[in-house]
Amino acid sequence: MRAITVFKAVTKNWLRSRAGLFFSIMFPILLLVVFGAIFSGVGGSSRYGLFVQNQDVTAEGSPTELSSAFVTALNSTGTFSLTEVPVGENATDYARQQLGPLGGSMRILIISEGFQDDLINGTMKVRVGICFDTLNMSYQYFEPYMNDTQKSMLEDGLTQMQQLNSSLPDAYASLTIMLDSADQSAGVVQSIVASVANAFNYELIGAGNVITFTQTSVSNTQFRTIDFYIPGITAAFIMTNGIIGLTSTNTEFKRRGIIKRLSLTPLTKMDWVVGCILSQTLLNIILSFIMIGVGWIVFNVRVIPDALTILLIFLGSVMFSGIGMIFSGVIKDIEAANAIGNAVAFPMMFLSGTYFPLEIMPSYLQSVSKVLPLTYFSEGLKATMITKFADGIVFNMAVVAVLAVVFILIGVKVTRWREK
Amino acid sequence: MANGIIKVDSLVKEYDSLRAVDGISFEVYEGEVFAFLGPNGAGKTTTVEILECIRPLTGGSAKVCGYDVSKESDVKEIKKRIGVLPQDFNALEKLSVKENISLIGDMYDKHLSASEVIKLLDLEDKANAKFDSLSGGLKQRVGVAAALVSDPQLVFLDEPTTGLDPKARRDVWAVIANLKKLGKTVFLTTHYMEEAQVLADRIAIIDRGKIVALGSSQELISTYGGLKLLVIRKGPKDLADTLQAKFGQVTVNKDGDIHVKVDDVDELWRIMDILTTMRLGSDVELQTPTIEDVFLKITGTRITDEGDLT
Ligand SMILES: Nc1ncnc2c1ncn2[C@@H]1O[C@H](COP(=O)(O)OP(=O)(O)OP(=O)(O)O)[C@@H](O)[C@H]1O
Ligand SMILES: [Mg+2]
Repeated sequence: MRAITVFKAVTKNWLRSRAGLFFSIMFPILLLVVFGAIFSGVGGSSRYGLFVQNQDVTAEGSPTELSSAFVTALNSTGTFSLTEVPVGENATDYARQQLGPLGGSMRILIISEGFQDDLINGTMKVRVGICFDTLNMSYQYFEPYMNDTQKSMLEDGLTQMQQLNSSLPDAYASLTIMLDSADQSAGVVQSIVASVANAFNYELIGAGNVITFTQTSVSNTQFRTIDFYIPGITAAFIMTNGIIGLTSTNTEFKRRGIIKRLSLTPLTKMDWVVGCILSQTLLNIILSFIMIGVGWIVFNVRVIPDALTILLIFLGSVMFSGIGMIFSGVIKDIEAANAIGNAVAFPMMFLSGTYFPLEIMPSYLQSVSKVLPLTYFSEGLKATMITKFADGIVFNMAVVAVLAVVFILIGVKVTRWREK
Repeated sequence: MANGIIKVDSLVKEYDSLRAVDGISFEVYEGEVFAFLGPNGAGKTTTVEILECIRPLTGGSAKVCGYDVSKESDVKEIKKRIGVLPQDFNALEKLSVKENISLIGDMYDKHLSASEVIKLLDLEDKANAKFDSLSGGLKQRVGVAAALVSDPQLVFLDEPTTGLDPKARRDVWAVIANLKKLGKTVFLTTHYMEEAQVLADRIAIIDRGKIVALGSSQELISTYGGLKLLVIRKGPKDLADTLQAKFGQVTVNKDGDIHVKVDDVDELWRIMDILTTMRLGSDVELQTPTIEDVFLKITGTRITDEGDLT
């Protein structure tokens, strides 16, 4: 088996090359750790910073009961890291000073003075209004069946309620949120604050239990962003190892005459291509296991690789190594190899839902992603490692397997075993 | 008559508009060292690569070990039987000498052990050294070892000493001389006159895709080199002009030495007469011509150490 001999030699050569090890293993792991930290919130960095100035204080200077309950509610969402701005300070100046020279996003929530009173009055007004409406409706409905005494008592009641309602001030508890238009998270922050405020409103007027939400996940185990990120980034690096790594290694082999030297022996082109692809695949399997291992240890991910995962990693490696063999067959020098490799790999990485979900992309980009092999590989890995959806596994694996065969055949075709 | 292990007939190779090999015919006999001598771009590599079956030919025919290089089914048989040191040989840089030689060996069904060829080429000290840590001369020796590991009948060495320092060059020469003793047929290309003269049984001089002379160095020298070469160290300029007018075949090298090609004994005495009359003070030396003089005679130019024509 000459392919196995080639596989062993090429792998050994690669394992002993520091640059190769760095770019194919260390670099992906570094990126995994950095991006993983962003997605998983290790170190608290995933909370949005928010400055809160509570101007609603009692005569003694302590915050009123309801305003502090609101702050507690914000805090309990777990999405914010709150910084209190002392009453009397100019909130904007204070926040700028706290953020320091490096800046950061300035987001300020001001709870105006009278928040509690307004909230109570407002709530009473709403509740009285509801009572009035209810009584009024019963009056209209049951009027023909009531005697005169009952009627006049009800009419008195309705009049008194109307008087009470109009005596209550027309004020509403006021919150001001100040956001920077350049802040990418502004929308998210605003909507979280708004939903906390709504929950507060509903709770106070007693409508909270009309509709209840129970949050459940579509799969039976609850996964976090980081869990989906592990298969995504693993797929992406298997792609770059093939399209950038293998292309540049093989272009270099070609330039240095290694391929020519081997073509002078009875080794066949097919054995050479298969040997190179096997070597790349071993490297990718090692990489995947290290990635999953780092995911387990550092981010506590719940990814479970199984036999299907390994099969899919194998097929995906073959597919992208096939592309690498095609590129190195047609590209002359290493500069061009790197340039073309990068030009293909990076857009593919971003357009295949590795770093952010496909759903948030404009629809024409979503159609582009449907023709990228990485999309199927990465979706397939998510399916085998996480969701275990049988349909997703079968479909994506089939696409990857077919492409793997096609690319290998083209790769063998364009590899030059003879000079011109 | 020895058997022809390589038979080339009217071989032509064209690259787009360039005719790199222009209808050459020759035979290489079993057991000999055959040298292709020519300047850069003469078509040496093109020819050997056609014989090694890694370059298609445009016209004519070539047989190696009795097999046709342009027949797909014969290519396998040829590759089994030949060992090659390509021009600009390289190996996997992070593998050791031994690992690289074994890799090539394992490509053949039958081969020598890597240790055997390592011993043959006196590379034992370096057997475990990484290829990229070796000097140019050692790398070439590894290349020769790789060419021999399959124990081939026929060995191609494409410019085995280009770029090596004189000491390393002589080491490689010793290796090649030894191959002949082992009974191998060696096809050597070079642009070093001396290398061809020292090593080869027969030399083909190739220039712009054509073989312009072919024979043993003795034959070539007696056919083209003239009888002797008279060298007048730092001779006066007017002497050179006088000799040129009378006898022709005079050149002056960059040190100011006058070289006069002498075709027969009579001519020699007439030249000596002139020098005696002049009471010339310069050193005079009589040299036996070399392949370099043959090359000069045929092509009108010399080849520099870098392989270019002057
Ligand atoms: N692939 C190619 N495409 C086009 N022209 C080529 C190609 N390979 C070689 N040539 C040209 O063919 C001619 C012969 O080249 P070749 O490499 O055979 O010369 P050589 O005698 O081996 O010279 P060198 O000492 O430089 O190795 C040169 O003019 C060269 O530029
Ligand atoms: Mg050459």
